[in-house]
Amino acid sequence: MSEAVVLRGIGRTFAGRRPIAALDGIDLTVRAGEFVTLFGPSGSGKSTLLRIIAGLERADAGTVQVLGGPPREAARRKDIGWVPQNAALLPWARVRTNAGLSALVNRRADRSSHPQRVPQDVDGILAEVGLADFADARPGQLSGGMQQRAALARVFVQGAPLLLMDEPFSALDEITRSSVRLQLLDLWERHRKTVVFVTHSAEEAALLSDRVIVLSPRPGRITAEIEVPIPRPRADCAADSDAVRAVEREITAALRAGASG
Amino acid sequence: MSARRVALAVGAPAALLLLLGLLWSWTASANPSVLPPLASLPAELAARPDFYVRNLGHTLVSALSGFGIGVGAALLLAIAVVHAPVLRSAVLPVALLLNVTPVVAIAPALVVAFGFTQVPNIVVAALTAFFPMLINALAGFRNVDRGSLEVFRSMAASRTDVFLRLRLPSSLRYLFAGARLSASAAMVGAIVSEFTGSTRGLGATIVTATTYLNLPQMWVAILVSALVSLALLGLIGLVERIVVRW
Repeated sequence: MSEAVVLRGIGRTFAGRRPIAALDGIDLTVRAGEFVTLFGPSGSGKSTLLRIIAGLERADAGTVQVLGGPPREAARRKDIGWVPQNAALLPWARVRTNAGLSALVNRRADRSSHPQRVPQDVDGILAEVGLADFADARPGQLSGGMQQRAALARVFVQGAPLLLMDEPFSALDEITRSSVRLQLLDLWERHRKTVVFVTHSAEEAALLSDRVIVLSPRPGRITAEIEVPIPRPRADCAADSDAVRAVEREITAALRAGASG
Repeated sequence: MSARRVALAVGAPAALLLLLGLLWSWTASANPSVLPPLASLPAELAARPDFYVRNLGHTLVSALSGFGIGVGAALLLAIAVVHAPVLRSAVLPVALLLNVTPVVAIAPALVVAFGFTQVPNIVVAALTAFFPMLINALAGFRNVDRGSLEVFRSMAASRTDVFLRLRLPSSLRYLFAGARLSASAAMVGAIVSEFTGSTRGLGATIVTATTYLNLPQMWVAILVSALVSLALLGLIGLVERIVVRW
């Protein structure tokens, strides 16, 4: 399958005394294996759009196809890996159990054959993210960056073909953020999943993505799609390289144009 | 823990107890009809240990049975409410009504219904233990990290998975807090219910002692019930420390 996510005419309005239109007329196709970033100002509906793709929220208008069907069907097959803003690790469970969570829930999905999802070995992924020595630790014993690495390990162990990440590094300090970002780049280049990533950071979007989707302020509409021409692998690509800076400037300019237009 | 902290943790309560002991002795000598001499309490306990053990046993059976029934019912109801929120508006007002109805008023009505048996004591203990656990369990089961809930939902985890692997463990601190409140409430409920229609238990012992102005017996029964309640709280705290290790 070449299209992992297909959105047509997506709209979402939050009801209330004064209804708030969060998204309007979103058309987007994400190809399988692509790393797409949703970028926009606060209130542009990036996270809402991601939640609609995950099936955590319903759209008021339009259609959503995820891996060839409705999002909830993909979720039932455990084909969606979700990384929320906080690491969302279970504090009572050890790192190994947290990373292997997908094997403990919705076991019905494991009994049928799913060629799209390829669960990975927990210890292998923990070694990949540098947490092999902390497999028996509890999340409270880990730093913020290590917790976020454990959260990344959880989705890569799940082996879902589609990963949805909602500002996963927003709570980290700049140094930790840049290190965990490189970890994600490394993991993605090794496992080649389809990723839809939400961020506020133009630098992060430029460094990680194949394509950046720029959203306007509320209601969120797509105002620009920017292809990122930086060759992969990018693990050694410095965040302050000319290529990254050029894409970052393009993203920021598109954001400003979208906000003023 | 540093030596200073240990000294403070042991010394402060010891100093307070000493002060209370002095105050007690002064009151007892000034007005013997209010408090018995402090030395008469251990003498009373040593003279009739079987009597107090028997009555404490009766009260403990009522309190612990009531605690088990009340806490069990509260947990089942909280689980039902979390999975069917529509029940919340039906259940909470009734639970609140039960909670605000004075135990002293219920106890005689239960004696009429169940006779002079231990059943009214157990029912009152269960009623008093029910509400604190219900409120804490509801708060605990609902107070789940949103990110974790989304991770579970993104994998289409079943309700059982969400409850057993997320809601239950993340609510343990609430549940232990509820258990502590419910244990004290069950002891109070059992003793108060023994005030009416019971010839056994610490509550009945206190009432009998009051009738005959047997101050040493009354105060030994009161102190024994307080110490046993304290021991129950300590036991629950110990189990919490073993279970909740994060």
